[in-house]
Order: sequence, then C-alpha cells, then structure tokens
Amino acid sequence: MKRWLLGAALVALTAPVVAQAPLPWSDDEVKAIARHGPWPPPVPRDPSNRVAGSRDAVVLGEYLFNEPRLSADGAMSCATCHVAGRDWVDGRARAMGRSELDRRTPSLWNVGYAHWFGWDGAGDSLWSQSIRPILDPREMAGDAARVAALLREDKALACGYERAFGATPGADDETLLVDTAKALAAFQATLVSPRTPFDSFRDALLAGDREAMARYPLAAQRGLKIFVEANCAACHFGPRFTNGEFGDVGIPFFTRPGAVDPGRLDGLAKLANSAFNLLGRHNDDASGTRALRTRHVQRLHSNFGEFRVPGLRQPGTGPFMHNGHLATLDDVVKHYSEVSPDRLHSDAIPLVRPLALTADQSADLVAFLKSLSVDPPARPAPPPLCP
Amino acid sequence: MRLLAGLIALLVAFPAWADCPLDLGRGTGLVVFSSHYMVAFRPEPMRLEVGEPFSLLFNVCTKSNKPAELVAVDAVMPEHKHGMNYRPTIVSLGDGRYRVDGMVFHMPGRWELSIDVRAGEESERLSHELILK
Repeated sequence: MKRWLLGAALVALTAPVVAQAPLPWSDDEVKAIARHGPWPPPVPRDPSNRVAGSRDAVVLGEYLFNEPRLSADGAMSCATCHVAGRDWVDGRARAMGRSELDRRTPSLWNVGYAHWFGWDGAGDSLWSQSIRPILDPREMAGDAARVAALLREDKALACGYERAFGATPGADDETLLVDTAKALAAFQATLVSPRTPFDSFRDALLAGDREAMARYPLAAQRGLKIFVEANCAACHFGPRFTNGEFGDVGIPFFTRPGAVDPGRLDGLAKLANSAFNLLGRHNDDASGTRALRTRHVQRLHSNFGEFRVPGLRQPGTGPFMHNGHLATLDDVVKHYSEVSPDRLHSDAIPLVRPLALTADQSADLVAFLKSLSVDPPARPAPPPLCP
Repeated sequence: MRLLAGLIALLVAFPAWADCPLDLGRGTGLVVFSSHYMVAFRPEPMRLEVGEPFSLLFNVCTKSNKPAELVAVDAVMPEHKHGMNYRPTIVSLGDGRYRVDGMVFHMPGRWELSIDVRAGEESERLSHELILK
C-alpha cells in the first residue's frame, strides 16, 4: 500500500501536465481531421452587399439588430429570438414570433460563411434572409414603408445610414428596406464562433505536438474517431462542420396533425419567387459570380423534407434539429444511433444509417460534439452610432 | 508527369486525332475517349473544393474529324445514387470548344462525371471518375 502511494505521488510530481497519452491517429484520420480547420477562417465579404465589411455598416447593423421599431407593434427585434448570450438562439424548440412557428431559431454563429440561409434555403444571401423575418406577418410583421420611415426620421439611425451608405436615406422604401437588411447582414457576418478545445487538438495533431494533444480529453478523442469513421463529414464537412447544403436525416416531417413541412422543396419555390434573390436588382455584385448558385440550383422531388445541414460549432444548449425535435446532444446522438433505415428509404449506400453505438460510444461522441463549443466571450456594447 | 506521358502516348497511338487540340488554355487537362470521340477537359479553377462552384472547359473531337457537339454534362455519386444539387449550363465557344458553368460537388467522395457528345445522328456518353477529398 505504501509503495503504491509512493508510486502515485511520484507520478503526480513528475507528470503534472500530461496526465494521459493521446490516442494513436492514422494518416487518413489526420487528413480527415485537418479538413475541419484552421479556425477561424478569414472573415468573409459578400460581394452582393456593397457595405459588407464596412465598419460603419457593422455598427448600424448592430443597432438595427436590436431595434424593435422594425416590427409592426414595436415589440420585437432580431435580438428577441437571436439572443447574444445564448449563442444567438432562444433555447426554444420552435421559435415564437407573434405566434409559434414551425421551426427552431437558427444560430447566427458563422452565418457569414454560408451560401444558403434559413432551414429551407429560401434565402440566397444574408441580406435577403434578413428581410424575411421583418416582413413575415408571423414574426415582426413589418413593411418597407415602416422601415424606411424609421431610417429617415430617427436622427441617430439616419446619421448611421449616411455613414454606412455615403448618402442620406432616399425616397424609395424598398431600397431602404434592402439597405437595412444589408447593414444587418454586415453585422451578422462578424459573428464568428470562438476557437474551441477541438481546434487546439486539431492544430496540435498537425504539428505533432503530443503534449498539447494530450490536453484534449480522451472521451472527445474517441468521439472524434467515431465521427471520422462514421463519415459524418460527408455532410458536416470542413471548418464549419457543414457543407452548407441540405439533407433528410429522418426527423419527422409533420408540424401538426395533417400538416407537413416540405423543407428545401418549398424553400426553392420561395427563392425563385423572391424579389430579393440574387437574380434581382438589389444584388450589388456586377460580376454575377455570387448569383451562380441561384442561377444553377435545381428543384428536385428529393428536396422534400430536406433541411439545411447545420454547422456543429457553438450550437447552443438545445433543443436541436430544424424543428427542435431533439432536446439534448445525447438525444441527437441517440437519433443517429437508432435512426430507422426504412424512414430514409435509400436504395444505395445511405449517408445516414443507424450507427448502433454502445452507451460508452454515445457518451464519447457527445464529448466530442461538446468540444466544439466554449463559453463565448462577453459581448461589448456597440460603439455610438454617431458620436 | 504521368498525365503528360499518358497524353503523349495517346497522341502517338491516335495520330489521326492529333488535330484535336488538347491544350485548354492553362496546360493540358484530362482526356476521355471512345472509339469515335476524344474529349479533353479541365476544371476552372484547377483545384476543386467541396461545395464550391466550378466550371469545366471542354474540347470535343471525333476520330473522323466530323464536327461534334457537347450535349450534356452531369455528375453523380454512384455509391449514394444522388447527383448534383445544381444544373450546369453549356456555352459553345466554337470549334468544338465548350464552357460548362454551374458545377458543384457538394460532398467529398467519388463522383462520376458523364459527358454526352453527339456527331450527326450518333451520340454517346463518356464518363470519368473524380475523387474529391
């Protein structure tokens, strides 16, 4: 007993930092993990938005983001659902506007890197997506005239507009609505999630720094191996852990008895009919490059019930999935462990198949997913709009 | 280097097709052929990324030196039996050259590119496999 205690004390004295050896990683695993970084990537700049990246537009956008007067009754702003201290979600299974909606509030972390917006991809730019909740009668129920009047009549906002856009608010209501959305988009594009324990591990793995690798919990390492082996990166690809496209992963279609959410199928119809899509007059990208996806995307029967693949960074504490169907990360892993192949009716090698994980494996996968989050740093108050 | 050697071997083996220029403006691309057709192509940009749009530049030739047309280009992931989420468009640049825009491989893995060509009444589908990592 004494010798054991002495040995334990010696270990504690000689190895205070490296308490564990990292798992062995094959070359293929290292390559797969490398593709999930580096983080953060350069802040994106949307060419369809002439004020993207403008500091003045970012400041104006943050004020507008928190501005309830954009809504019909002056009671709701973007920040009502996208709460800064809650990873830009509201913690509800289904968003609550003027009534309960059918889908969950999506997080805004890393939204500036996306190319489709909303769970159904009805938006092809961050600014066009920002118009939708302002006008939606179930959400802010605003209109272009109300938004334009606010920009013209509120001295601080008018001043902020002039700084951001280089001119005083003009006479055309629709243009001012779009400019409001472009300032909102400029702000939202700055919401880049912080580095996480996974990023430190990934960088250490590539550098061959075993001591730094060993700081990543073994459970998370085992979970990462499961993530790689299960080919989750087919959809949860790249640094953001999403390929930005759409899939049906076996979540129920029904929103209420007798009503279904067609997802991407409906989103593509809305995209085609939108006056604010990138094929319209409000796109500032004269090269036409940014509209390439909108021009070429095809609407397929298989789009029914597909929803946007969410990034896995900083997802918040739940609920999860497009409709908040799963309350916790444990529930998400259980879903992928037990999902019914009959529900997914694939006649090929299915992208989603039951992983049949043991309890320990499920816990490891959850540990890995949790390692993609940290407590976000406190958000400073925005600078004055027009000092 | 192996690609270059392969192309030289092709030109030696098929001297009648030596008039089909394989240089697509930024070095030589990939070549697929059948008993009637030879199709040279390269992506633009040269490096393909998952989820990023790209174009393909084609040069379509026939063994008989008849004019040939690029009719359609598509791609599928055979293992998963799904295609692209995007429908590419073809623009003729003249002299058997074409530009195909709107290609997006939205997942890593094996993609099979199908290239439909036609000369007169005869049409044929050529294919080429690409692994995207």
